[in-house]
Amino acid sequence: MDSGDFLSILKERGQLPGAAEATQAVAQNGAPGMHTEGTTILALRYRDGVLVAGDRRATAGNVVVYDRAAKVLSVDDRSVLALSGSPANAYEIARLLEISFQHYRRTQLQELSLDGRLRTLSRLLRDNLPMAMQGIGAVVPIYITHEKDGPQAGGRIYFYDVLGANFETVDFCTTGSGSPIIRGALYFLNRWERPFVERDEAEALRLVLQMLETAAEFDTATGGFKSTAAIYPQVMRVTGDGITDISEADLATHYAHLQVGG
Amino acid sequence: MLDEPYRWVEAIRNRREYLADQLEGASPVVGVCYTDGVLLLTSTPGPRKVFEVYNQVAFAGVGHPADIEKLRKAIIDIAHVEAFNLSASDVSLQRLVAFGLGPLMKAAFDEIFRSPHIARVIVTELDPSDPLETFYTIDADGSFSPSGAAAAVAGTVDSAAAILAYLKGRDGSGESLTDALARALDAWAVGRVFAAREADKSSEDDEVAPTTQDDLATAVRDALVSGRIEAAVLDRRMPKKTKFRLLPAADIEGALARFR
Repeated sequence: MDSGDFLSILKERGQLPGAAEATQAVAQNGAPGMHTEGTTILALRYRDGVLVAGDRRATAGNVVVYDRAAKVLSVDDRSVLALSGSPANAYEIARLLEISFQHYRRTQLQELSLDGRLRTLSRLLRDNLPMAMQGIGAVVPIYITHEKDGPQAGGRIYFYDVLGANFETVDFCTTGSGSPIIRGALYFLNRWERPFVERDEAEALRLVLQMLETAAEFDTATGGFKSTAAIYPQVMRVTGDGITDISEADLATHYAHLQVGG
Repeated sequence: MLDEPYRWVEAIRNRREYLADQLEGASPVVGVCYTDGVLLLTSTPGPRKVFEVYNQVAFAGVGHPADIEKLRKAIIDIAHVEAFNLSASDVSLQRLVAFGLGPLMKAAFDEIFRSPHIARVIVTELDPSDPLETFYTIDADGSFSPSGAAAAVAGTVDSAAAILAYLKGRDGSGESLTDALARALDAWAVGRVFAAREADKSSEDDEVAPTTQDDLATAVRDALVSGRIEAAVLDRRMPKKTKFRLLPAADIEGALARFR
């Protein structure tokens, strides 16, 4: 029976990106000296759904490679992938995931279940393991979705380790090199100030922007807001109405309210 | 024995006859353009016959359901591998047909110890680079041809030709979906009536009698007794990447009301 598994089709045709071959090449030739990585990704559940944000900086060692990298990518009409780690592998994984979900929906005439989607991402991370073990291609994603119905209805946040294990987080999740800096603050605010899930969008959004600025202050691999160059973080809202970007105009208004000049 | 050219030609001729016989009673699929996109319409006793292939590509077929499924799966696989290896904008109908489905169906047809695909296929793309390639029809032997404003596949070649003759001269510009549904349904009924009269002919020389509105109404009513009308659109107004939308029964009902 046809399972509608796109990854198997690519493997059969020898067109899946070859982690094994890459590992062999690295073993023979040594790992390249530079690879881009470093980030702060943050997702939190608020009253209407989930806000997902990522800074825009990509670094290689102590060099800033790019200041407008997109790390929050929509996968389909209801879910997004927020990526920290090696951009080359992260983008390839996001691309494979998006096409796999489309292929399944079109061949099987039904949507892939949430468990099926989580499992597909796990498999992609496991396939990427040799690259991660070489220290040149680790990817640590957060998968955020808003399920319309069923026992898992509502906004959901799942994070993965480099081996492909996935865990659901209830209130918030942060990954990347800047995440240790803000994790404690997020825990404190959620527990002793006011739970994030009770906050409206404006309040949650300002908190997200403040956290990214805090991470950027102490982590060189996280880029902060720069008004002069018009570099804004990426922020998406994932709600029952689908996925929408928070516009740069809206972000500018909130930064002005927070008195962050950049 | 089949290495003798005459035997091989005879075997191929037998296959053509076998396929013509198997496909003869198939309900047509009609494709027309309208202001906001492209419409595919057919009747079915139950299983779906019109499908999404890729963001801007749709597929429908007549024939054996298992063969239609095989071909549907094949074209979806080709489109998605193409989108993965290149990009979504490189998935074009012309390439899917000329380098994918056409050769696949021809290979099955030519291998005389293998079963051919008992199917005729119609595929369509929304806003292709060449407007004259909005539709492709592919016969069971793998031969394919493009068309612009309308296309049809049916149980017989003559029945499809009768549908196209009915649709000739209209390109769908300025036409609403409601009007396009009515026109496609009439065209479908023309093909159905033509095929029935063709089958009733006592000799090849007999002319097929002209079709009246009553004939069309009877064909539609008969289809509704044994099944339902199925229709889908590629709608360029859709805000998502995918432009395919299977029309709900309520949308089709407007076109059916005058026949009830």
